[in-house]
Amino acid sequence: MTFSLNTESESPARTTLHLHGRLDAQTFNDFDRAMLDVLPRVAEGGTVVLDLSALEYISSAGLRSIAMVRKSMRARGGNTLLLNPQPQVRKVFDIVKAVPLHEVFANAAELDQYLDHMQRQITGAGPAGHA
Amino acid sequence: MLFRSIASRLSLWVLAGSLVVLAIAGGLLFYLVSGEILRQAHGEATALAGEAGARIEQRLARVADTSRTLATAMATRSGDAEALLRDALARNTDLSGLAAAFVPAADNPPESPFVNRQDDGSLGWRDMRKDPKPYWEANWFRVGLHCAQGCWQRHFHSLSRRRELVNYSAVIQRDGQAIGLINADVSLDWLNLILGELRKPPGAYAFVLDEGGAYLAHDNPAMVGQRGDPALLRALAQPGTARVRLAIAQNPQAGGKPVWIYLFPVEGTHWSFGLAMPEAMIYAGVRQAFMRVLLLGLLALLAVAAITLLATRRTLAPLGTLATRAEQVARGALAFELPRARFPDEVGRLTHAFDRMRKELALHIAELTRNAKEQQRLASELDIAHQIQTALLPGEHYIDARCENFELRALLRPARAVGGDLYSYFMLGERRFCVMVGDVSDKGIPAALFMARTITLAKALAPRARSPQHLLAMLNLELCRHNENCMFVSLSCGMLDTSTGELVMSSAGHEPPVLCDADGARLLELETGAALGLDEDARYPARTLWLQPGQTLMLYTDGITEASDTDGQMFGVERLLACLRQAASCASAELADGLLAEVDRFAAGAAQADDITVLALNWHHALADGNAHMLDLTIEASMDEVFATLERCEASLRAQGVLPAVREDIRLVLEELMVNMVEHGRDDGLQHRIGLHLRRVEDAVVVELHHDGRPFDPLQAPAPNLTGDLADADVVGGLGIHLVRAMASELSYSHDEQGNHLLLRFLHPAPAESGHDIQPEH
Repeated sequence: MTFSLNTESESPARTTLHLHGRLDAQTFNDFDRAMLDVLPRVAEGGTVVLDLSALEYISSAGLRSIAMVRKSMRARGGNTLLLNPQPQVRKVFDIVKAVPLHEVFANAAELDQYLDHMQRQITGAGPAGHA
Repeated sequence: MLFRSIASRLSLWVLAGSLVVLAIAGGLLFYLVSGEILRQAHGEATALAGEAGARIEQRLARVADTSRTLATAMATRSGDAEALLRDALARNTDLSGLAAAFVPAADNPPESPFVNRQDDGSLGWRDMRKDPKPYWEANWFRVGLHCAQGCWQRHFHSLSRRRELVNYSAVIQRDGQAIGLINADVSLDWLNLILGELRKPPGAYAFVLDEGGAYLAHDNPAMVGQRGDPALLRALAQPGTARVRLAIAQNPQAGGKPVWIYLFPVEGTHWSFGLAMPEAMIYAGVRQAFMRVLLLGLLALLAVAAITLLATRRTLAPLGTLATRAEQVARGALAFELPRARFPDEVGRLTHAFDRMRKELALHIAELTRNAKEQQRLASELDIAHQIQTALLPGEHYIDARCENFELRALLRPARAVGGDLYSYFMLGERRFCVMVGDVSDKGIPAALFMARTITLAKALAPRARSPQHLLAMLNLELCRHNENCMFVSLSCGMLDTSTGELVMSSAGHEPPVLCDADGARLLELETGAALGLDEDARYPARTLWLQPGQTLMLYTDGITEASDTDGQMFGVERLLACLRQAASCASAELADGLLAEVDRFAAGAAQADDITVLALNWHHALADGNAHMLDLTIEASMDEVFATLERCEASLRAQGVLPAVREDIRLVLEELMVNMVEHGRDDGLQHRIGLHLRRVEDAVVVELHHDGRPFDPLQAPAPNLTGDLADADVVGGLGIHLVRAMASELSYSHDEQGNHLLLRFLHPAPAESGHDIQPEH
């Protein structure tokens, strides 16, 4: 087994996916199928976090899968954030300019800080908007 | 010196020619005039002779008259004979003596008186009757008695008077009876005196001949008494002869020269008067006149010659200057003054022409100098070009460091400074060794430039080429570009796997290679394609053979086979093979040098017409496969096979101690490429294969990928539109190729009839010292 996926839904608004092994031409179908299950469960405007800490390797097939996830999330007004990509994956992302840099986080703390900030903006902005 | 000047020669010729004309004309004139002169001289001399003769005649006539008068007187008055005689003698000084000689008879006077003139002028007297010798018996007396009219006697020498005398006898008649003679003596001295008194031209002389032909008197007394010249006498014998020419004068005073003698018979006597004129004297005047004329003519001619000399020198003076200038020109000096051309005559034209010639010459020399400099510059450029061209060829020691199991010898000898032949060899990667020998059409600089282009392109393209046929095809395509001059190059290319001896040969219209081994030498018949540079679509077949250890591959150009000897005979393939067969060994240096030496021997004396190139490649033996050779496999083009192979590669790379980052790059690139191949291969429904060759070189990992599908050049694929977010694009494509291009340090693509060929190179730092077994696992 060269690829595996663990899904962790903390809330309807936030789902974290842990990717293990290699995401390549051989395994991207598994990932795509899994995402067909996961994505519909994510709420409108929710956030999907792809934890890449354990992803050793990615090829263009994997990139296309990730791009599809991001596209699908964007269509639903949500975000796709990347967490802790490993050197090979980071290199590939850099070469193809796969994602905006502010959506990639080196560790969970940075990600939490970012999400908190976002949350504050939404909640803070709501009363202000109503006021 | 005199004859070196045209002027002096001309004047001398004028002088000589005029002299000849003058001499001939003068001679002719003299000849014509001399006849007239002679006639005139004859007339004058005849008149002179007549005059002189008449004078003598006159004197003699007086003597005769006196005698006859006395004889008449004596006939009647014989008694006073002596007185009469004395009286007559006293009155007539011409007479030397007078005698009255009577025939001795009774009635005749008893005495015969003789009165003569003494030397002192007084008159002597004697009676001849008393002479001891009776005169009446003497011959003169008896002859005289018969001379009734009187006559001159023969001259005689008087002993008593010691002189030559001649006497005139006149008969004394009485009653018709001759009773005696009057004898008048005249001395010949007197006659001579008369001759001497005659008016004669100088040099002429006169004489009187008696009836017997002897000289009675002569201007030269020595001649008196001598007989006349026979020719003279013959002339005298013919009456009426007025003149005669004696070829040699009798008179010694005339000096033996020819004389003309004018004769005049003296009336009353039997004598002849002669006037002798030396012929030279006759012509003397006219000759002198002619001499004067000639002298004057000569002087005139000298003057003409001098004038000619001056005029010619003056006219030709510029010519002399021109001659001097021409000598200067011959020495190389061109800056000088030319004489001014005064008249538009030949000299003037010559001067103008000379001036123009000098200017043209100066221009010409300047141009020549320029050309020479240009030539020099060209020669030096050619020299540099030669060095550059030599530098394009691989260095002699290129091979030494690279391979221990083959040797190579290459020789190139251009016919000119630069040539169109080429050879090259280099390693392609670790094992493949590429050799090529080519020959550009034409010769000289264009060929050299084309050669440089070819050899540079070949070197640049070779790393991308999988096979010689592929290299030739690429090279052909490049050379066809902008080749308006339709230059082309025939090229033979071989790639040798130095480890195994596998040799792939491909030829573009080049001479077939020769394979040499212990069994001899034979041509390697190759199917060849078109020469490079002519046809873009040309295809180049290949032939693969396996070299046996010790075999030598010979590549050469037509400079070898078409080398001609002095008879125009070509070296040819047969001699080439024969020469290689005779070689003692198959060592490349020996074969190449021996072949070139044989060609030189064959073509000794003939100029090298074409560039000569020969390359000998001798393969020694196979090599044990090195560790560097990691993976060499061929798989079916399917996803499973691809990923299984990726695992094997990974394992192999890890075993080789390749760093994880490089391994990941290689894996990504191979995955992208092979997945692409699998997906492309699905289109035609055929089962395709993928070849993979992986090896480790000094500072890199080299990967060869082959796929027998339709052509696909990843290098030509368009770059994806990268916005910074993959989610922006509708369809995400081209990412894989983009990654491949980004990650491979080098990437080359080629395609031939066997499919697509990719050569990839991943830089890798020098192998770590530590063993591969302690490398980290990922």
